[in-house]
Amino acid sequence: MTDKRHPDEERQALAAEHALGLLSGEDERRARELAASEPDFAREVARWRGRLAPLAGELEPVDPPPSTWKRIAVSIEPPEAGSNVIRLHRKITMWRGATAGMTALAAALGGVLVLQPRGVPPPVVTPQPAAPPMVAMLSNDQKDMKVMASWNPATRQLVLAVAGDMPPDTTHAHELWVIPAGGKPRSLGTMGDSKQMHMRLADAIASLMESGATVAISVEPPGGSPTGSPTGPVIASGSLTRA
Amino acid sequence: MNNSVAIGAPSVGVLFAFWRGSGMEDRMNRATDPGPSDDLAALMRSVARGDSGAFRLVYDRTSAKMYGICLRLLGSEAEAQDVLQEVYVTVWRKAAQFDAAKASPITWLGVMARNRAIDRLRQRRGGGEQLDAAADIPDDGPLATAVIEQEQDSRRLAHCLDELEERTRTMIRAAFLDGASYPELAEREGVPLGTMKSWIRRGLLRLRGCLEQ
Repeated sequence: MTDKRHPDEERQALAAEHALGLLSGEDERRARELAASEPDFAREVARWRGRLAPLAGELEPVDPPPSTWKRIAVSIEPPEAGSNVIRLHRKITMWRGATAGMTALAAALGGVLVLQPRGVPPPVVTPQPAAPPMVAMLSNDQKDMKVMASWNPATRQLVLAVAGDMPPDTTHAHELWVIPAGGKPRSLGTMGDSKQMHMRLADAIASLMESGATVAISVEPPGGSPTGSPTGPVIASGSLTRA
Repeated sequence: MNNSVAIGAPSVGVLFAFWRGSGMEDRMNRATDPGPSDDLAALMRSVARGDSGAFRLVYDRTSAKMYGICLRLLGSEAEAQDVLQEVYVTVWRKAAQFDAAKASPITWLGVMARNRAIDRLRQRRGGGEQLDAAADIPDDGPLATAVIEQEQDSRRLAHCLDELEERTRTMIRAAFLDGASYPELAEREGVPLGTMKSWIRRGLLRLRGCLEQ
């Protein structure tokens, strides 16, 4: 249904249709890809949202039932103690199960880490000697070692071991960051209250996990930093080094 | 394989005792102080700093409007409530991305509510159509699906809609207010899909021409 004679006009119409929500299937997919990859297209979609927005003023307000607020209030609370990692679904995938590779790594680290399998089938792990595992000891200014991060580039898995229990903190989240040497902090997600966290990092993040990069924990609003950069104090940090 | 837990490091409690006692917590608390402002945009700034009291006020002042949008589009109270929940959880996490220079908080929320509700309609129609390839991920990255450039003046929009053929105007309004899709509109009017698309496309481009004058 696309008009091949006027590609610009076709695209502008697509932006309008996308903003209006008329598209589905392949057309919608294409519009989303364009919106993600082409700033001019994204801007035209944004303009259409602004152009059409006053129409929403015609709709009558309807009070939602009180139960809706209760559901919202519960879902923005930080995780309860013991409820394990993450209510947020950051770029990383959380792996709650132990894997063969991580258990081997834990053994290699002198039994500091011992993992609890929880029913997630371990992925097949092929260690690659070219990319050695790395560790970072995260500590505060007093050099009390508290959190150990173990990174296996071959499997893109990061394991955090926390000593003791993190006290439930209903007003803040603890967010984990990687800061490449000379680079900006990138979020790895917020930390739950469990003693171990397993994450499989996306390729883009995994490439930052190089020797000399800093791993840090900051205090953030529930759900993590709203800006994508650390906004609260850093409570622990350490450098990645070869294990 | 050893399944027991053995941690060889000192208690993390010390770590948190460290930061609690260091004045950092006081600084955090001051930073989230909502301040006296009643203004919705100011409340959004407080929400962006993690102020849950401000978040409740934003909800109280805007949720009826958002629920009205969701209910109209979805026609189901249960689904409208689900979408409302998604919208406000996103607001809590993404309030920092709200740009008061471009649109009012009500408009920003309305765009989010409408987009989420229309995604639901699509899933319903398409038997669970998934668009995750480029779909907005609620918890990650900028909220691309709610970026707004300069909100239109409502009188100007009404005037320009009036300039369109009545049929086209009705179709565009049905798409916006009811979430009607191309096939639904074509069926409603008893015309082929291609005809409906060219009516609406022509109408939208004409509308833009009028608004930009």
